[in-house]
Amino acid sequence: MGLIDHRFSDNFITTNLDNVLNWARQSSLWPMGFGLACCAIEMIATSTSRYDIARFGAEVFRASPRQADLMIVAGTVTKKMAPVLRRLYDQMPDPKWVISMGSCSNAGGPFPTYSVLQGVDKVVPVDVYVSGCPPRPEALLYGLMRLQDKIKKEGTVLRRERVIMAGQSEPILVEDRG
Amino acid sequence: MLFLARFFKSIFLVDLLKGMWVTLKYTPQPAFTFQYPQERRPVAPRFRGVLRLQVEPETGAQTCIVCDKCAKVCPDELIDLGGHREPGHKIKVLDYFDFNLSRCSFCGLCAEVCPTKPVKALIMSEDYELGSYSRNSQILRVDEMYDGVPIEKYTR
Repeated sequence: MGLIDHRFSDNFITTNLDNVLNWARQSSLWPMGFGLACCAIEMIATSTSRYDIARFGAEVFRASPRQADLMIVAGTVTKKMAPVLRRLYDQMPDPKWVISMGSCSNAGGPFPTYSVLQGVDKVVPVDVYVSGCPPRPEALLYGLMRLQDKIKKEGTVLRRERVIMAGQSEPILVEDRG
Repeated sequence: MLFLARFFKSIFLVDLLKGMWVTLKYTPQPAFTFQYPQERRPVAPRFRGVLRLQVEPETGAQTCIVCDKCAKVCPDELIDLGGHREPGHKIKVLDYFDFNLSRCSFCGLCAEVCPTKPVKALIMSEDYELGSYSRNSQILRVDEMYDGVPIEKYTR
């Protein structure tokens, strides 16, 4: 996919191709289970037959980052774990997303201490933050649906990027950059 | 004789059929998967979801008396609220109520100390569908505290 990512301008073929590719990406998100604490139990419960994350095409929890599209960071990220997390994120192949699950990985949770990373977005870019302590399995499914909404709107083959221009605070949509 | 019995057992795949029968027995059962976005499971009565401010049910008047107890009791100091006195009002008028959801561990201490009667101003609601695209939108303002957290639309 890297060959055609963000290479073409807007026309009939590319917009439809975009829809097809985004549909394919959103409906087979293979997560990498990154269970670190009690949120991992809820993540496991989400993949059981009761809640069945397979209905969203995201049931194949891979042990290897090379086969995963989505990283669900579930639990307290300590500063010792942070470099490992970043390395695993770097090893994932490129269309990749991150869900931060639970208060601890959102912002450090009830641990404002020297050893806990204050939010996983300090080391990896997070797409969806799921709040809860821990979130219910339904809440994780809700977060997954929000991520699918996001993927739907991504420009995969189109050259569209959000850029913060110098002197501006809000990002603007750049259609074509040289 | 024993050899013959074992021979026929392997010819007619008895062990395999026994195993398949166990699987088949469970097949006609209905699936017990919750179809989550379509159906919503009722939560336990003491379930603690996201915080919410309540108004008086008949009049729609404000019930929060801006006593600052919830902000003081919060172990992570996530609540920030303020108000001002106004002539004609018995209680302080609530100006802002910022609740930082990102760190919240849903312990429920804030709702427990809320002294207003008979309608509790601050409750733990049954809402758990919380997902946001940025850390800024995890700070709930006063209108979101009254109406519940809206579904955030992704804009690019």
